[in-house]
Amino acid sequence: MTDINDPTSRRGDVSAQVANPSRRWFFRWLTYLMGAAATLVLAVPLIGYLVSYRRQRPPWIKLGAVTDFPQNVTRMITFDNPLKQPWDGMVAHTGVYVRYLGADDRQQDQFLVLAVNCTHLGCPVEWFEGSGLFMCPCHGGVYYENGEHASGPPPRGLYHYVWRVRDGQLEVQAPHFPTLHDTLRDRA
Amino acid sequence: MSHGQRVSHCCRPGTPLWLLAAALFFTGCEPPGRPNQADRPLRPDQVMSFDRLYGTRCAGCHGAEGNLGAAPPLNDPLFRAAVGEEELAEIIRSGRPGTLMPRFGGEPPVLTDAQIKLLVFEIKGVPYRVRSQFDEITGPSDFSVEVAADGQPPQWGTVSKRPDDMPSLTPSSAESGDAKRGLQVFAQACAKCHGERGEGGKDDGPGAINNQAFLALISDQALRRLIITGRPDLGMPDYAGKTGRPDDFKPLTAADVADLVALLASWRETGANAQP
Amino acid sequence: MFAWLRTAARWLDHRIGISTDIVPVMKHPVPRQLEGPMGWWYVFGSASLTLFLVQILTGILLALVYVPSADEAYETLLYMNYVQPLGWYIRALHYYAGSGMMVMVLVHMTQVFLQGAYKYPRELTWVVGVFLLLCTLGMFFTGQILRWDPDAYWGLAVGGSMVGRVPGAGPELVSIMLGGPIIGADTLSRFFALHVFIIPGLLILLLSLHLWLVVKQGVSEPPVPGQQVDPQTYDAHYEGELRRGVPFWGEALLRDAFFSAVVVIAVALFAAYMGPKGPDLPPDPTLQGANPRPEWPFLWLFALLSLSPPPAETFIILVLPVILILGLLLVPFVSNRGERAPSRRPVAVLSVIVIYTTLGVLTYEGITSPWSPHMTAWSGDPVPVSMVKQSTPLQLQGAVVFQSKNCRNCHALDGVGGRRGPDLSTVGTRLTRDQLIDQVSNGTPGGGYMPAYGKQVNPAEMTALVDFLVSLRPPGHPPAYNPAEQPSPRSVEPGTDGEATANRP
Repeated sequence: MTDINDPTSRRGDVSAQVANPSRRWFFRWLTYLMGAAATLVLAVPLIGYLVSYRRQRPPWIKLGAVTDFPQNVTRMITFDNPLKQPWDGMVAHTGVYVRYLGADDRQQDQFLVLAVNCTHLGCPVEWFEGSGLFMCPCHGGVYYENGEHASGPPPRGLYHYVWRVRDGQLEVQAPHFPTLHDTLRDRA
Repeated sequence: MSHGQRVSHCCRPGTPLWLLAAALFFTGCEPPGRPNQADRPLRPDQVMSFDRLYGTRCAGCHGAEGNLGAAPPLNDPLFRAAVGEEELAEIIRSGRPGTLMPRFGGEPPVLTDAQIKLLVFEIKGVPYRVRSQFDEITGPSDFSVEVAADGQPPQWGTVSKRPDDMPSLTPSSAESGDAKRGLQVFAQACAKCHGERGEGGKDDGPGAINNQAFLALISDQALRRLIITGRPDLGMPDYAGKTGRPDDFKPLTAADVADLVALLASWRETGANAQP
Repeated sequence: MFAWLRTAARWLDHRIGISTDIVPVMKHPVPRQLEGPMGWWYVFGSASLTLFLVQILTGILLALVYVPSADEAYETLLYMNYVQPLGWYIRALHYYAGSGMMVMVLVHMTQVFLQGAYKYPRELTWVVGVFLLLCTLGMFFTGQILRWDPDAYWGLAVGGSMVGRVPGAGPELVSIMLGGPIIGADTLSRFFALHVFIIPGLLILLLSLHLWLVVKQGVSEPPVPGQQVDPQTYDAHYEGELRRGVPFWGEALLRDAFFSAVVVIAVALFAAYMGPKGPDLPPDPTLQGANPRPEWPFLWLFALLSLSPPPAETFIILVLPVILILGLLLVPFVSNRGERAPSRRPVAVLSVIVIYTTLGVLTYEGITSPWSPHMTAWSGDPVPVSMVKQSTPLQLQGAVVFQSKNCRNCHALDGVGGRRGPDLSTVGTRLTRDQLIDQVSNGTPGGGYMPAYGKQVNPAEMTALVDFLVSLRPPGHPPAYNPAEQPSPRSVEPGTDGEATANRP
């Protein structure tokens, strides 16, 4: 035991006066343990906060009546992505290329709904009606009107939105930012 | 536009702060790096200058100055005089069916209504004025284009009056051409340069027009327009031009034009060597 | 009064230890040669530091007005440009001082590398310096994002797409980077925090360590050819240098101060003459005509990604940077002894030349970006008048097909138009009609740069287009002739190209 009133203990040789080594040992390890616990208590929620965001089932967005889409015409339709934050402003505007392919054998309306993001590095592809091609301004990726890769560096065709027809309305599932390993699959 | 007037002013009052800074660093008084409202980046729908609109959307096919392009000239006195404003706007909006002229309106529009109106006034030679709201931060918006005698003079000048004997660019519904008669008109008006059956003239001639691929890419309406206005920029005479035509040539009438179009249309279907 | 002040000063000095601890550090001896002409090599580090201080100052000023919110950030930038007096100037200063800092850091590193100053015992100083370079690059990228225009938005898209290529964790990393499922407000807030708190904090921390190491290990003496660095003897040798040394607080500092002043004035002039960078159009991702470009320190990477074969891309995106950084970090451990003088280190000099030539060429390519289609070339770049004048009606239609099928976006005529594909002004002398039809229909074989137009043009359009292309020859030049092709070229006579096609079945 050190006496704090003892003038020799203020400066100098404290270790020599350890009265109860096992107690010291315990206190040291308790401090390590407490420190680790405190770090963990802090770190887990901090990191959890960092890597998480509001995860929600992507809602469906109405793009318009099926009858509004002329057959085999590609059009850019824009909407506000419902996955946005209220303070997102115009950044939440989302464009999507829609092409009505007509009804199939079972009278089901078929659509081609393509993301604007080039599969190469995410730049916005532009639709050219004259040639029926999508071209990317960044590295010159080109896609055919059906979204398949035509030329240039993209590793695959354009990403397809998840879509459905409900009550005569074309609807798409709110899209996240699509990347090569995380395409727009059905998440409903 | 309201920001047009603020460009060349030097040392405007009310900004002593930067004036002081400028005086410290520069001999001139407007630091060249200071952003100018006139140079602000504009969204495609905010562009209201004929040079930029025409230069990015039309010049590719119709030529830098509206002539000597691959597609028929827009800067053509007869065309500018005869085409109707609404008709022109509709062509720009929807394109010309049966030709490669694309749409610039529609869904989603490439050009706004105000921009199309501006192009129409420029081509028709009508002085106009662009009105807009202007906000220092967000820039110009709410454009409207209106006729104004003291407004922006059209770049290609004003248009002379449409000649009285000029056939209408749009065929009247009653008219239907006769290909057989067309061949006679052709012999008189076209054959000297284009060959008897449109097979093309001599070495320096204008080339064949009986070509089915050529005819497949041009509509009757576009043929009619070219027959009437000619292509003065490439030496093709208009409906009344005498160049390369017999001395007794009389200006083509609406019926003549319709017959010629019918003839060319029949070549499109069956080729030039079949009898019309 | 003065007596009172002196007392106060003495009290402060006693408590802080200015005269005992700080002044000696400022006066620490540096090699005597720094007073000579060689001393001018040592000014780039302090210039980087000065510009960093300018960045802190201007950054704080910008933060007084800038709102890091996705729906307002852009407008606050316009407000600074057009309304707030001198707002544009502070923005310009921040951009050019940042660019200057980037340049100075690179020059400083190059000087340290060339003069072997990273060798024993200054290996760690170099390693910390490499991390400072990374921080500076990080500041550049995050700073561009805060400009919150289409370049920023699509820069994030490119960044996200790169991160998304990480095997396995890609999608998770993308949402961590974006702060959510889409590029939006959370993304901007994240990059604001990175640009304003995280990276600068790290930078200041590393900078303190860097400076501490500079003081602790001393400034390297200018290299002398033939004088070898040997960890066994260097310390004693350097001590000798210092005994003959001069205090840093003196001539050496004066040079640093002079050069820093020059750099700051240059930055101020640049800012006043060039003005602020952007912002460009509003950050609306549905705006057509976006043409995203990275900031200049990343143009080489942009070019590398365009020029590399697609299968190598994921490697270049994910592995190459790690290799480059590891390479830089390992420099002082691979060679930490021996010659320091550039004249005796040809490999070092050669690698600097090779690295900067490569970066320079790639950056130039990145600026001109010939691989990018010109998105408005088809409707904006006129068909050259000489070609129009020599064309038959069919060829004129072919020229219109050429424009309206967007060929012009990638192919120039008379040097005007896209440069992704070859200029086609004289293609008629190189390819025959059949070769052209084959090229247009099938594109580049094996998924190259030209798409197959076979289904994008109808037969009439193909006929007209190819007829136009065949006619693209200088006057007097015969059309291309391929002996393997039937029929022989005699059947195609110049001037009647159109007719020849017309009568084909």
